[in-house]
Amino acid sequence: MKFSIEQSVLVPPLQLVSGAVEKRQTLPVLANLLLKVESGILSITATDLEIEMSVNIALDGEYLEGDITVPARKLVDICRSLSGDKPINVNLEDGRLKVQSGRNRFSLTTISAQEFPNIEDTLFTTKFDIASQSLKDLIDRTQFAMAQQDVRYYLNGMLFELEGDKLLTVATDGHRLALSKIELKEVVAEELVQAIVPRKGVMEAAKLLSSSEQDCKIELNSNHIRISLGEYVFTSKLVDGRFPDYDKVLPKNAERILISNRDKIKDAFSRASILCNEKFRGVRLLLGNDKLTIHANNPEQEEAEIELDISYSDKDMEIGFNVNYLVDALNVIKTDEVKFNLGDANSSVLIESSENSDSLYVVMPMRL
Amino acid sequence: MKKIIHVDMDCFYAAIEQRDDIHLANTAVAVGGSPDNRGVIATANYEARKFGVHSAMPSGYARQLCPHLIIVKPDLSKYRAESKKIRQIFHKYTNLIEPLSLDEAYLDTSDSELCHGSATWIAQAICNDIFEATQLTASAGVSTSKFLAKVASDWNKPNGIKVVGPGEEIKFLDKLPVKKLHGVGKVMTAKLESMDIITCKELRAVELSVLVQRFGKYGKYLYDLCRGIDNRQVTVDSTRKSVSVETTFEQDISEWQDCESEFMKLLSSLSRRLEQSKGTDKIRKVYVKVKQANFVLHTAESISIGLDIKLLIALLKRLREQYPEPIRLMGIGVKFPDLKRQKTAQQINIPF
Repeated sequence: MKFSIEQSVLVPPLQLVSGAVEKRQTLPVLANLLLKVESGILSITATDLEIEMSVNIALDGEYLEGDITVPARKLVDICRSLSGDKPINVNLEDGRLKVQSGRNRFSLTTISAQEFPNIEDTLFTTKFDIASQSLKDLIDRTQFAMAQQDVRYYLNGMLFELEGDKLLTVATDGHRLALSKIELKEVVAEELVQAIVPRKGVMEAAKLLSSSEQDCKIELNSNHIRISLGEYVFTSKLVDGRFPDYDKVLPKNAERILISNRDKIKDAFSRASILCNEKFRGVRLLLGNDKLTIHANNPEQEEAEIELDISYSDKDMEIGFNVNYLVDALNVIKTDEVKFNLGDANSSVLIESSENSDSLYVVMPMRL
Repeated sequence: MKKIIHVDMDCFYAAIEQRDDIHLANTAVAVGGSPDNRGVIATANYEARKFGVHSAMPSGYARQLCPHLIIVKPDLSKYRAESKKIRQIFHKYTNLIEPLSLDEAYLDTSDSELCHGSATWIAQAICNDIFEATQLTASAGVSTSKFLAKVASDWNKPNGIKVVGPGEEIKFLDKLPVKKLHGVGKVMTAKLESMDIITCKELRAVELSVLVQRFGKYGKYLYDLCRGIDNRQVTVDSTRKSVSVETTFEQDISEWQDCESEFMKLLSSLSRRLEQSKGTDKIRKVYVKVKQANFVLHTAESISIGLDIKLLIALLKRLREQYPEPIRLMGIGVKFPDLKRQKTAQQINIPF
């Protein structure tokens, strides 16, 4: 195997693909990238057995076909550190991968390409196209609420749900829930399709989607999701589990409604959070006639009290929240005004833009 | 100024066994696991200690050092009963009791008016009462902080009291070798020795910045200790935070089948322990630990409401996959919520 390539052509795809590499390195070959040259195309693939990311790059000039795997981190670091004014020449020689550019020469260990696992080829039952930016937005508006290493493994990911011409994403860690939906160009699923994409898959997919403004193709079946975008193909296994019934926990018929300027209320929460308990992050909200008071205190007995004009005409109430959950939601609502739909001090708040209900954020309160 | 007493029973388990069996009088006795199946010594009496036998030593090695050593199987329920008697005696003098184990405890008698308010006399009275009630001897340290009381209780052991009164702290510490400080083990002793520091007096000559630079946070701790500064309170906290069981295997195991069957044995004894104590509904966490043949310890822990057996097995499986080396010890346990912490804030869950 032999090829030559410009640094600026190689490094961005190399970095994007290597995100899929297994970080805990249970199997040595999973720390490697698969390089394959065939018919003038260099393909680079990384996998952790759960997700797989690959890219095809057209080669100019001479090449020799072949395939091999090399340590991902080292190859990325080498290629990134080169100055870029000379092409990078790659050559497989006696089981070593020689990387040479100008007067810099590197020799890397390899593992045979036969040992590199690939996600089995599957037939996809549902297919549709979507603008990369729209899908990226959809993920960004919900991904912060995904659980991390929760024993309820089905929460360590994002639910993608298709019904008719609607695509919906939901994430929850059991304390708060984020939901966002968009309309597709056409009806793609007559019946409800649900897929839980694992956390790492969501993160890597989001990176991929920011790399291009083109449309991407989504393919789904009961075990896998595939996103094809330009020269990239991203495949992830799905989490085998039942996602909680999110509709059941969306509060209906709010008893109390607060409307505020988004930036003002977000900044007020951030200010109050400086003096809240670093571990529990609790703040107390006091709602009165067109006035919100936010209280925070910490174990050192330091206190913050922030007053804010808002629109509120229902009965007075006091309720506690983890301030991070509120700020996370307010960060991704992009309109000028936000609406808090509240019940009593023990029930959840539903936060949304005051203009539309495309994105919904449910946060459970804290007993303080 | 505080008056702290540290009471420490003299070779507690071994002394109980010697008291109860006339054949064990005047000979080297240790309580612990059998040397044939890799047991360790829990307690050795003074006759055995003369031969170099000490707690946590493998029983087989102890037998080599002291061939006539009699090793008695531990009877924890008996020791617990004795410990309870002793604790009742403490309660006659103060309610500020912090037990460290079955055989030692800190007492804060600052506010006690008994024995004319003399902590020294209280300590003496406690030791006398203990002997009267159990025929066992105790040693006590009396001083102005937990740390000094603990060091002092070791001073005139066995059956002795040492008082380090207010104003005498520094003089007492001057001669104290640094290796007697809590947390200073072999490695730290060697490091300090390489800096020509043997006693607390020499340690005190070192500037704080030097100690912090060398040992980090621990440097500040050393700086305080050698000056007798220890502001820890005697805390009465009897709420049990966890229950666990563990076992050391006669032979290292590595096959999954063996792990699983050992796991089931542990599970049944854990369940029994839980029935005796708090029950399973308050459990918030479960964990598994394994010690490899080379003594490296690995643990895996997860949130769990109740005793989730499947989850425990999954944790064990994950540990075994991550660290497939043969193991010599396995333990499983559960943790209960810290009630004090819960009060400050409680996040309500989404009712899925």
